Amino acid sequence: MTTGVSRSSKSRGAVWILALSLGAPAYAGSLRVSVVDDHGQPVERVAVYALPSKPLATATSAPDAIMDQAHNAFVPHILIVQTGTSVLFPNNDVVSHHVYSFSEPKTFELPLYKGNAHPPILFDRPGVVVLGCNIHDSMLGYILVVDTPHFASTDAQGSISLDGLAVDDYSIHVWTERLKPGDLPAAQTIRVAADGTQTVSFKLEGRMAPDFHDRERVSSLPWERY
Amino acid sequence: MGTVLRGAAAIAAAAAYAGAALADDTGGDRNRFQFEIDASYVHADSPFASSWTEGGLSKLRYSESNDGLESTRVFAQYRGRIADTLSATVIADYQSDASKGLDVTEAYMDWRPIPKSGNQQQIRVGAFYPPLSRENADLGWQSPFTYSYSAINTWLGEEVRPIGVEWSLHRHLGFAGSPHELRAFASAFYGNDPSGTLLFWRGWSLNDRQTRLGDTLPLPPRPVFDFTGSVVGHATQSVEPFDEIDHRPGAYAGLEWSYAHRVLVQLARYDNRADPYAYSGGQWAWGTSFNHLGLQAGLPWEIGLVAQWLQGETYWIQGARADGTLSPFAGLVCDDFDAKFLMLTRLVRGAHRVSLRYDAFDMHRAEGTPTGLQSDDGHAWTLAYRYEHSARWSAGVEWLRIDSARDNWTLFYASYDAPPSATETEIRLGMTFRVGATPH
Repeated sequence: MTTGVSRSSKSRGAVWILALSLGAPAYAGSLRVSVVDDHGQPVERVAVYALPSKPLATATSAPDAIMDQAHNAFVPHILIVQTGTSVLFPNNDVVSHHVYSFSEPKTFELPLYKGNAHPPILFDRPGVVVLGCNIHDSMLGYILVVDTPHFASTDAQGSISLDGLAVDDYSIHVWTERLKPGDLPAAQTIRVAADGTQTVSFKLEGRMAPDFHDRERVSSLPWERY
Repeated sequence: MGTVLRGAAAIAAAAAYAGAALADDTGGDRNRFQFEIDASYVHADSPFASSWTEGGLSKLRYSESNDGLESTRVFAQYRGRIADTLSATVIADYQSDASKGLDVTEAYMDWRPIPKSGNQQQIRVGAFYPPLSRENADLGWQSPFTYSYSAINTWLGEEVRPIGVEWSLHRHLGFAGSPHELRAFASAFYGNDPSGTLLFWRGWSLNDRQTRLGDTLPLPPRPVFDFTGSVVGHATQSVEPFDEIDHRPGAYAGLEWSYAHRVLVQLARYDNRADPYAYSGGQWAWGTSFNHLGLQAGLPWEIGLVAQWLQGETYWIQGARADGTLSPFAGLVCDDFDAKFLMLTRLVRGAHRVSLRYDAFDMHRAEGTPTGLQSDDGHAWTLAYRYEHSARWSAGVEWLRIDSARDNWTLFYASYDAPPSATETEIRLGMTFRVGATPH
């Protein structure tokens, strides 16, 4: 009864696998990374990315990523994208924002707007792009541009999983805006085999700034002035 | 009746603005109107028959004679974006108990160039509040905590309104995500030469009446002496605090450090650099300067702490006459003034706010200058509950008690039955209607 449907989806899946296997080995492994602080407590919202041993081509056909603005904040606070990704900056607030960055990997400005007034911005160089709003001093966001499609942000348990990694030696990096760049832990190199899961753990040492997400309303005081 | 008509006209104009604001909700916010009506049921209790706003001796805004429903403030704020980095702000205020109905509290342009580095700069030109108050963070320089402002911010709202240019700079210290932020500001301004006159004659007060740019404020009556030094009568007097008299610019500057929106410390110095021998248009200049410390912090249990400390002095000519001449006994005197407050506040479920504030204030003749007419020494307690029902409607209740001692009251105001010290209380049940209330 459902043969027609399943045959069609099977063949579509086969095309997909064929397409993927053109540029990648047939077998792939997984990586699990956990991040803890000085006291061994898991740290949420830390960016983790795995760089393969040979540089990859930049993302060309990747869909646009989105850095939203809602309630006078950048959402997400940290957006991770592969080099070559375009990012849209929709403003879903009732007030206008004037988004800008003076960071070295990408200097740009989106003059005063609401909604989707501006075309996406291409992030073609790796590095940290700090975002600000010229109207609202307390708006702060980050775009971390990395030379790999293998990245994630740690969950409440301080961990991430990356699947579908081709067999290779990977250099695993972590990044958080809460540590001085010099205090970030060194990258770890690990060999990902054809199957099975490798685990890596990082300990963040040094003075961590309070989590940006805890700032709101902890003091019962308004910090943004009229 | 004229006042009532002006009030009605102001409300009609403001309602038109509000209509524009509603219409604007769907479009861009290049022109933004915000509008608010504050009304309170007020009950005052004071040994004095009339409030200083009526030319009397009471420190309260209202006296027993106007117990009942008062329109405490009606105002509209217009903010227009002239260019992406340039905007204009005007706040027009209607006050039923002021010298005229409608006038402007602030009017300025601000320019914020797009930063090329971590330094965010801003330049303001016009008439504006110096960025000192940790309390007046709401639309129209109101306090989201209490109805009546602290003694310090009441005075800043009454007699300090620089008309000039202000530069400020904000940056994160160190790396991009550093929780340490620094702000610096500096200003050169005109006006504010009679500033200090009201503070001296009336003493410290706690109220929410901001002086508009063209306001004339009544002062408590000036005692008139005979040759023996006895008080033989009283003369009415008034002040226009923002006038320019000596054509010398004043200045203020400050530095602010904050950590992760948890702790903020600000230090500032203000000096109107006025020449107390200067006289123009019926007014003398008062050389008024102060140092100011502002603090705010998040404490455990989501309790917020707000505190300010202001310490200053004012040089003026005792015996200077309103006609610009000096009496035979005239001489330069200096009065020191000092005020501080500490407030604890807690926001519950985003809509209920309870705030408790303690104010202490003092004013006395500086050593080394001729003895004074009046001193002021006292403290105040304010307890307020505010409830934000919606973006449009909010309500609240406030209890205020001011205890002050002015040691020459009995001597100079015997005919006013002035006691050596007074306890004054005010209870307010307030209601606020606001349209277009989104910040910025």
